[in-house]
Amino acid sequence: MISEDRFRRIYTANFDPLLAYAIRRVEQPEDAADVVAETFLVVWRRRRDVPPDDEVRLWLYGVARRVLANHHRGGARRERLGDRLRQRLRAVAPADPGTEVPRRLVLRSALARLGELDREVLMLTFWEGLEPREIAAVLGLSAPTARARLSRARRRLRELVGHDLGPPGHELDVMTGRPTKEGR
Amino acid sequence: MTDDSLDRLIRDADPYRPAVGNRLDGAAEELLEEIMSDRPVRTIPTRRRLLVPLLGAAAAAALVGVVALTGTDPAPTGAQPGGTTSVTYSALALRAAEENPRLLIDEPGWTATYVSGFAEKEGSIRWSKQGREIEFNWRPAQYYDSYHQDRASVSAAEPVTVAGRGGELYTYSANDFGVMLPPRGKFFVELRGGGSWTRAAFGETLTHVVQVGVEQWLAALPPEVVTPDRIDARATEVLAGVPLPPGFDRASLADLGTNDTYQFGAQVAARVGCGWIAEWERATKAGDAAATTRAADALRGSHGWKFLNDMNAAGDYPEVFWEIADQVVAGSVPPQYRDSLGC
Repeated sequence: MISEDRFRRIYTANFDPLLAYAIRRVEQPEDAADVVAETFLVVWRRRRDVPPDDEVRLWLYGVARRVLANHHRGGARRERLGDRLRQRLRAVAPADPGTEVPRRLVLRSALARLGELDREVLMLTFWEGLEPREIAAVLGLSAPTARARLSRARRRLRELVGHDLGPPGHELDVMTGRPTKEGR
Repeated sequence: MTDDSLDRLIRDADPYRPAVGNRLDGAAEELLEEIMSDRPVRTIPTRRRLLVPLLGAAAAAALVGVVALTGTDPAPTGAQPGGTTSVTYSALALRAAEENPRLLIDEPGWTATYVSGFAEKEGSIRWSKQGREIEFNWRPAQYYDSYHQDRASVSAAEPVTVAGRGGELYTYSANDFGVMLPPRGKFFVELRGGGSWTRAAFGETLTHVVQVGVEQWLAALPPEVVTPDRIDARATEVLAGVPLPPGFDRASLADLGTNDTYQFGAQVAARVGCGWIAEWERATKAGDAAATTRAADALRGSHGWKFLNDMNAAGDYPEVFWEIADQVVAGSVPPQYRDSLGC
């Protein structure tokens, strides 16, 4: 069984990435609190099974993925955990479409229309920053399958985004010509 | 659109803003403590962290008693294992045991190496033999569905019979197994292997798990375990030479239930230490210099308390106790001392 100190270290090192992972996959930011709380609760209760440090992050994503599936199925919150986190997220991470750059919304809308696995492969690649072999570990695929899936997902997304944002090479070229502005 | 421009577009659509993590005002830390309070053994949740480290090896060495239940030589009801002395248990001890699943491994050689939490509706006892362990954890029945849902994702459930009751076996790995027994009364029980098992060996050992009567259960616990009947005697040993704070109620120690010596010592230390810190605060606020000095002397003297020194090899509780005591003696009460000590 991992020591409680190790659990604390794992929690501290992975809280932000896991919160990010959850926020990216729920409709309301505060719902991410449930996902984070539930995921770490599972880890705590299964702390015998936690893999070595260099594999922990991917393993956590795998746990969170199952927790999210339950969340999306409407699974009831099992514990009254993370209430304060929920309150804070409601306060500091409002989902306000009015503040978003329209093309982000277009992109997210296109992502939402992809198949679940295609979407997940793209998100893990570009938002979690994972390599195909790591994505394969999280999703239980082979690495070649993950690579093929990424290529296909990219192609499908391009089709959807191109359709929504107008002819390829027009508006998108303008957008990508000033990427630094997006960070402000 | 090139791959690069599409990739940039996706990255830019990330709804997460790292600044969120800096504005949670301690909510992450609070959640951590909440999660770590969810534990199979809940003596005093926030203090558990201090009680557990290093406990395994040291406690195993300390608890040398052997469960003397065997198929051919069961411990007679009311007798100490291996002995002939008849023991009369107090109503308190019997009631505490009634609250317990009272599962034993009816096979020679199993030794209790960790015992705690019997005072509440949950607890834990770990049996060890030749590098293998089985831990029995019992928890309030209301949590069964939650745990069951969790275990369902471990593996397919395999029906097994344990102590005459139907349960479900889960396979964590080829050499790691656990069993859930559905609630009976106020609690449910989980068994979890430790060390390297085979499915066959685990299954074979499960056939030796039996539920026993109250007195047989109490008699099977090693003599080092502080059962309710042993609290008074152990408290006398622990408190020898220890100054007691005003209002200390020794009789209240009876509600500590059944613990190994480390857990018992930590809970006694908490009551004494918290009492002296409260007295130091009161006296300081009241300008009662003599009482302040008395409290500070008591806390300073904790470095010499034998039972804390005896516990020091087995876990971190004494070190934390002394650190806090020293801070109070130096004139400041650490804000989190109640959680740290388990007041």
